[in-house]
Amino acid sequence: MNTLKQLSKSPLPYLALGGLLLVLTILLSTATQDSSRLNDLFLPIFGLGLLTLLLLIGLLFRSLLRLYRDFKTKKPGSKLTVRLVSLFVLLILISTTIVYSFSVHFLHRGINSWFDVEIEQALDNSLAFGRTAFGDRKRTLLRQTRMMSGVLSEVPVSEFNTNLRDLTDLSGAIELSVWTMDGQLVTSSLQNHNIIVPDKPNEAIFRQLKQKEDYIGLDLSDNDQLQLRAAVLIPKTGRGKDEKVLHVLFPVNEQLSELGKTVQDAYTNYKELNYLRKPLISIFTLTLSLIVLLTVLASIWFAIWISRRIVQPLQALADGTQSVASGNYNTQLTSKGDDEIGFLVRSFNQMTQRLTRARDATQVSHRLLEQQTNYLGAVLGSLSSGVITIDEQLLLKTANVASSTILETNLQPHLEMPFSKLEQQHRHLQSFIQMIITEISHKISWSQQIELHAGLQLQSLMCRGTPLPNNAGWVIVFDDVTTLIQAQRDAAWGEVARRLAHEIKNPLTPIQLSAERLQIKYLPLVPEDQAEQLNKLTNTIIQQVDAMKDMVNDFSDYAKSPSLKLEPISLTAFIHEVIGLYQSHSKHKITLSAPVELIVTIDSNRFRQVLHNLLKNAIEASEEAKLPVIIDISYRQVADKVKNWLELTIRDSGPGIPDTMMTTLFEPYATNKVRGTGLGLAIVKKIIDEHQGTVWTENIDPLGACIIVRLPLEKTTP
Amino acid sequence: MPAFAAAKTALISLLLLLSLNSQAAEHFHIDNAIITKLGNGYSLDATLHYPLSPRVIEALENGVPITFLQHFQLTKPFPIIGKYTPWVWNETVWSTVIAYELRYHALSEQYILLTLDTQKQRNFPALEMALKALGKVHAFSLPPKHDIDPNSMSLEIRTELDIHALPTPMQPGALISDKWQIASPWVTANWP
Repeated sequence: MNTLKQLSKSPLPYLALGGLLLVLTILLSTATQDSSRLNDLFLPIFGLGLLTLLLLIGLLFRSLLRLYRDFKTKKPGSKLTVRLVSLFVLLILISTTIVYSFSVHFLHRGINSWFDVEIEQALDNSLAFGRTAFGDRKRTLLRQTRMMSGVLSEVPVSEFNTNLRDLTDLSGAIELSVWTMDGQLVTSSLQNHNIIVPDKPNEAIFRQLKQKEDYIGLDLSDNDQLQLRAAVLIPKTGRGKDEKVLHVLFPVNEQLSELGKTVQDAYTNYKELNYLRKPLISIFTLTLSLIVLLTVLASIWFAIWISRRIVQPLQALADGTQSVASGNYNTQLTSKGDDEIGFLVRSFNQMTQRLTRARDATQVSHRLLEQQTNYLGAVLGSLSSGVITIDEQLLLKTANVASSTILETNLQPHLEMPFSKLEQQHRHLQSFIQMIITEISHKISWSQQIELHAGLQLQSLMCRGTPLPNNAGWVIVFDDVTTLIQAQRDAAWGEVARRLAHEIKNPLTPIQLSAERLQIKYLPLVPEDQAEQLNKLTNTIIQQVDAMKDMVNDFSDYAKSPSLKLEPISLTAFIHEVIGLYQSHSKHKITLSAPVELIVTIDSNRFRQVLHNLLKNAIEASEEAKLPVIIDISYRQVADKVKNWLELTIRDSGPGIPDTMMTTLFEPYATNKVRGTGLGLAIVKKIIDEHQGTVWTENIDPLGACIIVRLPLEKTTP
Repeated sequence: MPAFAAAKTALISLLLLLSLNSQAAEHFHIDNAIITKLGNGYSLDATLHYPLSPRVIEALENGVPITFLQHFQLTKPFPIIGKYTPWVWNETVWSTVIAYELRYHALSEQYILLTLDTQKQRNFPALEMALKALGKVHAFSLPPKHDIDPNSMSLEIRTELDIHALPTPMQPGALISDKWQIASPWVTANWP
């Protein structure tokens, strides 16, 4: 099977076909030049023709099969090939059919035109005429022969020879001979002395003679001359015992013989030709059909071949186009020839080259764009300000990292979604979103500050909106200015405290000293009943001045912000040391519950003040509410996304913090206590802020409050 | 519709080529092949029968000369491998062919039998007589006695129509038609 496939791919069949056709042509030309050789060459020519035909049919079948398979599998170009082949085959069939039918027609007419009824009749008649002419002569000669036999019957056998010679000379016959009835020669006389043995009459003559019928007939001599043959019985006269035959050959007049021969030849030739008409037509038709068939098959095969050749570059083009369509722009075809198809192929190649260049350029610009986008993204990402963009349909288009951090909401899942939907999912952003929607409706740049309630803390945002060019929406930039505002407020309070301390502290000492001198100098001088009142009044002054001094010191402390002296300390020991100062009061119950030892880096003096302030606050709050003082201090290590924290919690069992105070608890003069400057928690907040920590409060259900301090644990961060 | 008719003829001819006609004509046959000793040599007498098929007679009557061949050969068996093996190759020692041409002479209404070797003509008023004369082998001389060994040699006779002598247009048809393939088989003559 494999070898068959290889054979079918090799050019061997074509070479064989070419060779066969060549041999066939040579044989045919030889045969037509010398018709006598056609006899010998007919079979080889016929066999070769048949072989060629079979080979050609095989080749054609293979080509057609391949074409059919291509068409069936919808191979590109096969449709066009089939169409071209069909067209060619149609043309070939039409033209050859016309030529073939005309050729056959002319063949029939040509051969049939050789024959004519009139000629045939004339030839028949001339033959009959000849026969009649010879008939007369035959009768004369028969009579003459009978007379000669009559002469011979008169003489004895021994004298036959002499008589025969005379008779030969008289009659002008070629030969005279006497035969017995069983075919034995008696005697003879021949005009031609070169011939010794006379011509023996054949058995048919003897048979006729036996029936007592004389014979006269025309026949041919060995040298193709017409002659008349007569045979008669020699009448018995009693002398001879057995019957004898006189056999005479008469010559035919040379002119008559020549004419007779001409008529005979013409007649025979005509008749033979007429008889051969049918086989002649058949053989010519067969030859013609074979040649036509060979031509048609060869033409069809050639049509398939040429169609394939024509379609091949188109097929390559179709393949190339498909390949380009699927994205392979580097497709290059090999161009052949200077014709239109070659031009097409070259144009295709140019097109793909340009496409490749265009694609490369696009890729470069795309890469540039990507780089720029990345660059912009990096810039936006590194901005501490929140940046968002919304389009004219109020869809959120971009949001940088800072925007999510500031709004404490991951905005990335909300991209390409309506801005107002964000409001439904995140209630705390409601005022922010409402403000933006209101502002952008004015279609001009705007700037606005807004307070957001993020949990318990108040957040101040500074927002600026700018419309994007081409009505592409808005870009909104916002900053968390809470810290900034806090710092401004703290600075303002610091200034107030510093001035207050400075302005008030100076006159307080002379007031206290004056009151003490008043007590010492004038107490003995006043009457006893008034001395007590004086003492009481001056004491009040002294005490109030002391209280004022304390207050001023507090202000001074608040206003002071010395640089931190950070050092690592053991937290447990530090807290125990502070708690130890409060253990003197038996009713106060202060405990520390800590699972592990922690080393923190803090300013111990400042942090000690924090603890004192917080504990004092807790104790005072409980005592004012006449509740038992139970304070629990605990700490633990917590981790959020950014870093590790120390979380210190101080719980009391006091009345808790009123809701109204929750937001302003850590601001100066936010106090509900009878005594106190209202600066305790403000100082706490200040110190914690200085440590980059945070502090907030929570109420405990059912009773008590909880203050939570978070300090960063850089040193212990792994 | 000459084209159609021609195509039909071509088709029929092709069919004829591809399938041999099954209706077989009577073949020539040979009777009484007898060799007699004649002086220093041998002579053969035999009767050859020529039952001509109507197709052949038709051709003859239409002026086509028909050539008859009479083959004579002396063969000697030649063992291929060994003396007692059945495989035997018949070696031809001597052979000859006599060719006769029979034709109809319309003017004289005679059948003319021409011996092609000697150019001797014989005339017959009827076909049967001509065929009878053709079929009569009388006193046909074989090669001299010393060349012949009747114990080991056999004389074989065969007769056939010479198709290659027919006019060219008739040959293809005659070559494939058994109406013309009426040769006799080889017949062995009896030694005296």
